[in-house]
Amino acid sequence: MILELKDVSKSYEKIVAVDAVSIEIKEGEVLGLVGPNGSGKSTLLKIMLGIARPTSGKVLVNGEELSEKGWKEFKRSVGYMPERVSFYDNLTGTETLRLFARVKGGRLRSLKGVIDRILSEDVLQRKVGGYSKGMRQRLNLAQALLNEPDFLVLDEPTSGLDPVGIKEFYDILDEVKSRKKLTAILSSHILAEIEDKTNRVAVIKNGSLKAIGRLEELCSGMKIPLRLYITISRKDVFLESLLKKEGAVDLSYKNGYLIASISRKNKLELISAIMDEKDRFSDFSIREPSLEEVFFGVH
Amino acid sequence: MFTDATRAIAHKELSDKLKSKWVVVIGSGFALFTLVITYFGGAPAGVSGFMSIDASIASLTSLVTYFIPILALTLGGGIIADEQEKGTLGIFLASPISVGEFIMGKFAGLAIALILSIVAGLGIAGAILIFKTGIDAVGPFLVFVVNSVILGVIFLSVSFLISILLYERTKVIALTIFVWLLFTIIYDLALIGLLIITKGEIGISLFSILLMFNPVDIYRILNFISIGEFQVLIGLASVELPAYIRTSMLLGISLIWIIAPLGISYYYFKKRYLE
Repeated sequence: MILELKDVSKSYEKIVAVDAVSIEIKEGEVLGLVGPNGSGKSTLLKIMLGIARPTSGKVLVNGEELSEKGWKEFKRSVGYMPERVSFYDNLTGTETLRLFARVKGGRLRSLKGVIDRILSEDVLQRKVGGYSKGMRQRLNLAQALLNEPDFLVLDEPTSGLDPVGIKEFYDILDEVKSRKKLTAILSSHILAEIEDKTNRVAVIKNGSLKAIGRLEELCSGMKIPLRLYITISRKDVFLESLLKKEGAVDLSYKNGYLIASISRKNKLELISAIMDEKDRFSDFSIREPSLEEVFFGVH
Repeated sequence: MFTDATRAIAHKELSDKLKSKWVVVIGSGFALFTLVITYFGGAPAGVSGFMSIDASIASLTSLVTYFIPILALTLGGGIIADEQEKGTLGIFLASPISVGEFIMGKFAGLAIALILSIVAGLGIAGAILIFKTGIDAVGPFLVFVVNSVILGVIFLSVSFLISILLYERTKVIALTIFVWLLFTIIYDLALIGLLIITKGEIGISLFSILLMFNPVDIYRILNFISIGEFQVLIGLASVELPAYIRTSMLLGISLIWIIAPLGISYYYFKKRYLE
């Protein structure tokens, strides 16, 4: 399945929430959607889910614009995990899943293996009112998987989870992906998550698509420099001048490192130059820019 | 229309109300009120004890016209705000159910809960009345209960419209109270004012039409014309109505009162949440 947005805009009276966004989501890929609060991410997700109609532009599913009936059929293969869902305190986990299973036309029984991995039987029999935030997020994931979706939309899926919970969440997601081909959109403010778990990243700001592509493509396209980390015990003026001579900029010392930004083009020459002075330091590494640097570079 | 999804949503709403003992508490409270009213309904005339069925219905009509509308309005007033606050509205909207299925499921579940509480509340008093006054009271009392249920379902439908038009809870509460006051007090006062200003020259046809715009007046008239010969001097229902005002017509208008707010709710729900 391929979902395509062609020049999609969405306005609410005078406010432009989404401005001429074109995105194609390929079958089997995980697309990261990143942007600050109010950037239009949620509105874009709603348009992709058929919850909001664009003011202009087209939404195509497998090359076709969908009718109301078509959207209903499309939603049979969609799993949506909204941000901040508290569910119903007076229902048990099982009752909650049973409700949404019937609403989605899914069957709770057939997903027992997956559900068990997400929430234990003991927890499922308890009322949701007694769940922790992490348990509610797991329940949220479980309901999103109820109809064995082909297309999964996750809005800030690890919000409220601790690091162990985050790891477990992605382990479960990997397991789900291993069972069937899954296309997913992952919206998150935790940029490190997006970096590791997505095939491509789309950066949204003020409703516009600022950049889309693989992280390496975004970095090279935006000419974001690499970061050189030299392990060094004390300040070394000679090493600093050598780096500057080879085109390094933004030199600084932090936590036992001499850090510098270096161009991708002449990194080999620079490495060769500093290796001639290898007695002055104990180690070095070159790192790709983080998504924060790409993200903040866009902004 | 009553798909599995609709039934699932209806079941959830009904079981919520049963589990929270809402039906039991409201039904019990209502039953207590009705018993008190039927026993002490003649107190202003210096009479106590269970009266005839028509006199009892006359007393109960006054209770019902205030109690059931506010009950129904508060029952349905928070349906959308609740789902939004819990974050579950997005899950429903992204699911393969239509807006109609969603609204019908919610409405059906709450309507059943409301009907159970009305029947329980009135039924207990009715059983005692029938025991005291005789088997002939069964028919009129059943009709009274059905009319009361219709009134409740009308206001439940109106509450859905309020809930969908305003998703902020405080605004919903404010409009609910206003709507209750409008239909139980303000509207009839306005009609009385109109009668006074026109010195009674308004014309019975126009006056009858104006009564049809208030479900509470429709309910009073339904009781008046479909239950016994007792001259029920309850507000404006004491006016002599044209011959074409019949039970079938009033039931038809009541049906419109149920369907129209739901239809408008459907339209506004789609407009607000899906466009």
